[in-house]
Amino acid sequence: MIKKITYLAQACSWLAVLTTVGMILLFLGFLGVRGFDTINPTLFFGNTPPWGAIIGRLPVWHGIWPACVGTVALVLLSSLLAIPLGLASGIYLAHYASGAWKRWFSLAVEVLAGIPSIVMGLFGFALILSLRKTVAPQANTCLLLSAGCLALLVLPYLILMTQTALEALPDELRQAGLSLGFTPWQNMVHVLLPVAGRGILSGVILAVGRAAEDTAVILLTGVVANSGLPSGILDKYEALPFHIFFLAAEARSDAELAQGFGAALILLILTAALFLGAYYLKSTFTKTWDQKNLSI
Amino acid sequence: MGPKKPVDLEPTVLVKSLHVGFAGREVLHNLNAKFNRGWLAVVLGRSGSGKTTFLRALNRLNECFPRSATRGSLKLKLQGEWRDIYRNAMPLPELRRRVGMVFQTPHLLPGSIADNLALPVKLVLGVPRRNIASRVEWALEEAHLWDEVKDRLNAPAHTLSGGQQQRLCLARLLALEPEILLLDEPTASLDFRAALKVEELLLSLKERYTIIAVSHSLSQARRLADEALIFRDGSVVQRLSREDLQAPDTLQALLEEIF
Ligand SMILES: Nc1ncnc2c1ncn2[C@@H]1O[C@H](COP(=O)(O)OP(=O)(O)O)[C@@H](O)[C@H]1O
Ligand SMILES: [Mg+2]
Repeated sequence: MIKKITYLAQACSWLAVLTTVGMILLFLGFLGVRGFDTINPTLFFGNTPPWGAIIGRLPVWHGIWPACVGTVALVLLSSLLAIPLGLASGIYLAHYASGAWKRWFSLAVEVLAGIPSIVMGLFGFALILSLRKTVAPQANTCLLLSAGCLALLVLPYLILMTQTALEALPDELRQAGLSLGFTPWQNMVHVLLPVAGRGILSGVILAVGRAAEDTAVILLTGVVANSGLPSGILDKYEALPFHIFFLAAEARSDAELAQGFGAALILLILTAALFLGAYYLKSTFTKTWDQKNLSI
Repeated sequence: MGPKKPVDLEPTVLVKSLHVGFAGREVLHNLNAKFNRGWLAVVLGRSGSGKTTFLRALNRLNECFPRSATRGSLKLKLQGEWRDIYRNAMPLPELRRRVGMVFQTPHLLPGSIADNLALPVKLVLGVPRRNIASRVEWALEEAHLWDEVKDRLNAPAHTLSGGQQQRLCLARLLALEPEILLLDEPTASLDFRAALKVEELLLSLKERYTIIAVSHSLSQARRLADEALIFRDGSVVQRLSREDLQAPDTLQALLEEIF
C-alpha cells in the first residue's frame, strides 16, 4: 500500500515537472516559430539605415529599436532608484529595526507589495497632475516618472528578498565577525552581505524582470507608440511591452502582427540578457571580494 | 611541570558579583572569579549551567542577543591597565579583538583559508596589505597549522577537517594579538586525535596568554588545567587546584557533580 502511494507520488511529481517544462518549451517554441523569421534589421530599424538609427541621427518609423532603447533605459533607471533603496531597507529590517517600528515598516512593505501596477500608474499620473496645478506647470509624464513608479512597484520584492536572505543566515556567522572585533557595519559589508548575495540576487532578478515587462504603469506615465529615441529622462519614450500590446490590439496586417511576435521574442532575450548581467555582476563582485582579501 | 607558586601569577581578570540575564530570566547569579596570565583555567559544569554565557560576558558578546542584561563588575587588565569593561573602558571592537573567543563549533568566515585570517587582520588591525601575508603565515605557524595548509591557502575554509577548522579559528584570533583567550568547548566537535592536537596547542600558548577554557571532559581538564572552576546553576560552586584534580576521591565527587 505504502509502496503504491510512493509510486503515485513519484509519478505526480514527475508529471508536475514535465508539465512545467513542457509549458515553457511550448511557449518558447510558439514564440520562436512565430517570431524568429521576423528577426532581421528591418524589425529593428524599418527602412532607416541601421547605423544612422543606432547613433540616433535618423528617426526610425517602422522598427522596434526605439522601444528596445526605451525599455533598457527604463529598467536601468528604475533599478538605479530601487536597488539601493531596497537593499538599505532590507538591511534595516533584518538587523536594525525592532519592536513597533519593525511591525509598522513591515506592514507598509506588505501594503506596497499588494498594490496593483495599474494603481501605481494612476498614482504617477495623479502626481503629475497635481504638480502641474501647483509648483511645476510644465511637468509632464516622462521616462523619469515611469521609472520612479516602477521602482516603487518592484521595491517590495527587493526589500523582502534582502531581509529574508539576511535573516536566514546562521547566528554563528554574525557572532564570528563580531567576536573578532568587526564593527556591525564591517560585519554586514564583508561577511553577511556576501554570503546572502545569492538570495539578494534573486530579488534583483525578480525586480528587473518585473520592471521590464510591466505595461500598466508605463501606460499612464509616459510611454507612447511613436516617439523615436528618448532625448532625456524628462522625455516621452517607447517601450517593448507597450509596443507589443499596441501591435496585438491594433495590428492592421499580418506583417505587423508578426512584428509583434518578433518584438516579444526580443523582449524575452533582452530580459534574459539583463538577468545574465545581474548574475555576472554578482559573480565578479564575489570574486573581487575574494581577491581583495587574498593576500598570498 | 610543577605547580606554580601564587607569587608568580599576574592576575588579569577580576569578576565581582556578576549577574547576567536574558529576557528577565537570570542565568548567572552573583558570580565571582579571578584569572591569571600564564595560567590555564578550565570551567566545568553541566550543560545549561551558564558556562558559555560566562565566557560571552567577558567579551560582551551577550549583547548581540536581544534583551540581555549584565550587572556587576568585570575588570580586565589589558595593555597593562585595569579596565572595567562594562563601564565603557574601551570601544567594543577593540575589546573583542583583545579578548578573543573560539566557539564550540568552528565559526568560519566566508571565503578561503587565507581570507579567514586576512580579512580580520586587515579590517580590525588595519595592517597594510604588504604585511598581511607574513602575519597570516605567522599565525598559522602559531596554531600548528601552517604545514597542513601552506599549499592550499586559497581553498575554501570549509574544506578543512573539523580539527583544522578549529585551529584555523585559533590562528585567526592569534593573528589579532589578543591578551585573553576564551575557549568554549573547543574540542567538543572533534575526534580524540584532533582534540589532542588542540590541547597540545593550548599548552604551548598558555605561558603568554590568559586562557579560560570550558571543557566537556573531565579527563581533558586533568590534562590541561592549572585550576578548575565548577559551575552549577549560574555560580561557581567549587574551585580545584591541579593537585585536587589528580586526587582520586575528588574525581569521584566531581563525576557525580557534573555528569
Ligand atoms: N541568547 C540567549 N537567550 C536566552 N537565553 C539564553 C541565551 N543564551 C543562554 N541562555 C540560557 O542561559 C542558560 C545557560 O546557557 P549556557 O550559558 O549556554 O550554558 P552552558 O554553556 O553551560 O551549557 C540556559 O538556560 C540557556 O537557555
Ligand atoms: Mg555552552
